[in-house]
Amino acid sequence: MNTVMTKEALAQILDQALQDVTERTAGVCLHQGEQPPGEDLCTVHITFDKGFGTSLTLCADTGLLARMACNSFHEDTVTQEDLEEFSKEYFNVLCGKIVRAMFDATQVSAHFSPPVFYHGRYEPEGQEVQFILTYADEHREGAQLIHHVPCAQEDRALPNEN
Amino acid sequence: MSRRIMIVDDSKLVRVQLEDVLKGTDYEVVAYCRSGEDAIERYDEVQPDLVTMDIIMQGMDGLDAAEIILKKHPDARIVMVSSLAYKDTFERAKAIGSKGFVDKPFHQEQLLKVFEEALL
Repeated sequence: MNTVMTKEALAQILDQALQDVTERTAGVCLHQGEQPPGEDLCTVHITFDKGFGTSLTLCADTGLLARMACNSFHEDTVTQEDLEEFSKEYFNVLCGKIVRAMFDATQVSAHFSPPVFYHGRYEPEGQEVQFILTYADEHREGAQLIHHVPCAQEDRALPNEN
Repeated sequence: MSRRIMIVDDSKLVRVQLEDVLKGTDYEVVAYCRSGEDAIERYDEVQPDLVTMDIIMQGMDGLDAAEIILKKHPDARIVMVSSLAYKDTFERAKAIGSKGFVDKPFHQEQLLKVFEEALL
């Protein structure tokens, strides 16, 4: 089965899913831009198993995630625990939507690991960045969705399964 | 008369979203469980009209919990609410007797339609 998906096709899936889930979950509109997040960051990370072997991280300004969590929980402030819980569930829902779109495009069923939350920037070992989508909101806070592939596979979004 | 809902999900986000979506409808959230074990323990006491069940939770997963509840209460109405919309997950949910499946993130219209069908 030939399951190669181009970087461009995958980037489009990620972009649509992120914008849709962020607006529906947290009422925040993110648009693609150039400016990366600042110094006060959090990262959420998952790995895709089975036919993919890739991983995805969301690296975002803590302020942005906190505002998204406040909107979602209808609260003025959130605790660290709430911030972490929100970030993991938000990313879980986002990745579920991504996996469904990837399946529609490739007919390859991918499962993903439970999201792991980190304070600061996290870079998965043994993997390299394939592409980065950079976003900002109206408050000029930002996020990056980073797709990683196993080292030396950066020209493919998905392995070719025969 | 309102329909009594028991939410089983370890996520505060989903609990808040479900409460938002069900506000002003004929559904009332009467219990909230954070794990499959908790749901099994509380089902007899709560006697809900409908259960919404997440799949991936700490401890026992939602499919196992639903299966145990349905073995003891074959008339239980359980709807899976999950981001894991895989074919094998759908098939297992159907095989154990769940009454529907809702993908996260959900829309009110989609959720209420599945609830109504589950309660027929």
